[in-house]
Amino acid sequence: MFSLENKKRIIDAHNIIKEYQTGTELLRVLDDVTITVMENEFTAILGPSGSGKSTLMNVLGCLDRPTSGTYFLDGVDVLQANEKQLAHMRNQKIGFVFQKFNLLPRLTAIQNVMLPLLYRGIDEADAFERAKEKLVLLGLENRLKHRPNELSGGQQQRVAIARAIVGDPPLLLADEPTGNLDSKSSLDAIKIFQDLHHQGNTILVITHDRDVAEKLQKVVFIRDGRLYEN
Amino acid sequence: MKARQLIKLVFINIYHNKFRSLLTTLGVIVGTATIFLVVAIGAGGEAQVNQQYSKLNVGTIMVTSATRGKVKDPLTKKDAERFTESAHVASAFPVVNGSGTMKYGNYGNKGSFFGIVPEYQEANHLSVQIGRLLEDDDESKHNRFAVLGSDFANTYTDGNPDEIVGKSIEINSRTFEVVGLLNRVGDSGSFMSYDDSVFLPMSVAEKYLLGNRSNPNITVVAKDLNSVSSAIEDIKSILDETHRLGGSDQFRIVDAGSRLASAQSTAKTMSMLLLSVAVVVLIVSGIGIMNVMFVTVKERTKEIGTLKAIGATRSEILSQFLGEAVVISFVGGILGSIIGYGMVPVLSYFELAALPTLNGLMLGLLFSVVTGVFFGFYPAWKAADLNPIEALRYE
Repeated sequence: MFSLENKKRIIDAHNIIKEYQTGTELLRVLDDVTITVMENEFTAILGPSGSGKSTLMNVLGCLDRPTSGTYFLDGVDVLQANEKQLAHMRNQKIGFVFQKFNLLPRLTAIQNVMLPLLYRGIDEADAFERAKEKLVLLGLENRLKHRPNELSGGQQQRVAIARAIVGDPPLLLADEPTGNLDSKSSLDAIKIFQDLHHQGNTILVITHDRDVAEKLQKVVFIRDGRLYEN
Repeated sequence: MKARQLIKLVFINIYHNKFRSLLTTLGVIVGTATIFLVVAIGAGGEAQVNQQYSKLNVGTIMVTSATRGKVKDPLTKKDAERFTESAHVASAFPVVNGSGTMKYGNYGNKGSFFGIVPEYQEANHLSVQIGRLLEDDDESKHNRFAVLGSDFANTYTDGNPDEIVGKSIEINSRTFEVVGLLNRVGDSGSFMSYDDSVFLPMSVAEKYLLGNRSNPNITVVAKDLNSVSSAIEDIKSILDETHRLGGSDQFRIVDAGSRLASAQSTAKTMSMLLLSVAVVVLIVSGIGIMNVMFVTVKERTKEIGTLKAIGATRSEILSQFLGEAVVISFVGGILGSIIGYGMVPVLSYFELAALPTLNGLMLGLLFSVVTGVFFGFYPAWKAADLNPIEALRYE
C-alpha cells in the first residue's frame, strides 16, 4: 500500500468563494469551500439542487473562475491560467461525463471518442486506435460507426465515458452520470466507474442521488454553498 | 486540432444540413454567376469595340465641315496638301461622299458612294478580293471606274458578287465600270459602312455626280500617336489662315484615338455598373449566410459548450464555424461560375457579346470567399465567445 503522503493531490482547492451579482443582490453560491481529492480517490459530492454543486463542478472543471480562493489541479495553478491554457487544461487534465451525455449528434461513436485527442493535436490514425481501444473496453466494439441516435441511453453513456477517459486524464468529473438512465443502466454505469477506479482513475461524481453516492468510496455533502464531510 | 480534422468536421456539419446549406448558397451562386457574366460581357464588349476600331488607324484625324450639304467655304484638295506640310502629319487626303440611285441589271436602290484618292484605300485598310483597287491614273485621267464594298455587291447581284467585276453599274444614270470587289471591312466606326458603298476616283465623283455640291472631308494621318494633338493644332492654324471667312471653327476635327477611348470607356462604365449590381447581390447573399450561421450557432449552442468542455479553444471554435461559412460560399462560388459559364452561349443567342475570362472566374471566386469570411466572421466569433457554462446549460 502507498502511504497517504506519497499520493498526489489531484484536486487541491482552498477557500473557494463564488459570488454572483443578481440585480442589486450579491449572491454567494460557494462559501469558503475547501476540497482535496487524492490520486485514485472515488468521491461523491452529494447535494440537493440549488446547493451550489453545479457551480462547484464548473469551478473544479476549469469552466468557471471563482471569485476568490486557490485551486491547484494536478499541481497546476488553475487561477493563473488564461483562457487558452484553461482549454488545454480541460482537454488534458479532465474527462467530463455529463448527465445528458452531450455526444455530438452528427459524429459516429468513435468520432465522438476521438474528438478530445484530435483537439490535443494527435493524428487521426493514432486517435482512432486509442478511441477504438476504449470503446472495446466498454463493450461497444459493434457500435463504433453508430451515431448517438442509433444507440440506447446506456450505450450513449458508455460512449461518453469512453470519450472522457480516452486521453487518460488525471481526473474524471461526472455530473449526475446516472440522471438520465434507467435503474439497470445506472447500475451498469456505476459498475463502470468502480472498475475505472480499480484501474487507478481518480473520479469525482456530483449527484443529488443518495443511492449513487453511497456506492462510492467517499461522500462529501454540499448545502447552501458549504461543504460538509459527514 | 490539425487543419485536416477541422476541415473534416466542417464538411460533416455542412453535409448534415445539406438542404439548408444549398439554400444558403443560392444567393452566392447567383452573385458569382452574375460577376462571372458581367466580366465576360465587359470583356466581350471591349473586344467588340477593339475589333470594330481595329481597321481604324488611331493616328487618324478627320476634318469635316461642321455643316453638311452645300457649304460656302468647303475644304479643298489644296487644304490636304497644306496639312502635309506640318511636321506632325504623315499624310492627308480629301474624300467626298454622296448618295444617289444605284442600278445594276434589274436591281436599283438608293446608295452611298465615296470619291477618294488612292491613298485613302491604304489608310483605311481596304483590300480587294477580286480585281484591283483604284490607282493614281484613274484619278488623273478621270477614269469612270468603281470599286465595290462586299455587302453592296452581294445585294445588287443577289448573292453572286463575283460576276459584277468587269461589268457596269449606274449611279444617277451615269455608268461606271466595276474594277474591283473589296474584302469585308466590318463596322468602320464612321457614319457610313464601307461594305455598303461604292468607291470612285474623287475627280470622277466630283465631275459626274456632285458638281458644285462637292464638300470634301480630309482624312489626316498623324506621324504617330503622340503627335496627334500637335497635328490637330497645326491643322487648326492652317485652316484659320486659309479659310479666313469662318476660320477653323466652321470645321469639325475629330481624332480616331479619342473616339476609340470614349467607346472603350462607355463599355467600361457599363461593366462597372453591372459589376456593382453583382456586388449588391453578393452582399445580400452574405446577409443570408450570416442569418443562417446565427441560427446554426444558436442550434448548436450546447454542442459548442461540450466542445469547449473537452478542450476546444476559442480559435478552434471560430475556425470551425468560419470554415462552414466559407465552404458554403466557396461551393456557391464554384457552382455560380459553372452556371455563369453555361450562360455565355445563351447570351450570344441574344447577340450580347460575352467572353469568359480567367479574371472573371477569379473575381467571382474571390468575392464568394470574401463574402463567406466577412459575413461568417461575426456569427463564428459569437460561437467562439460563448460562455461554456451557459452553453452547456442551453436547451
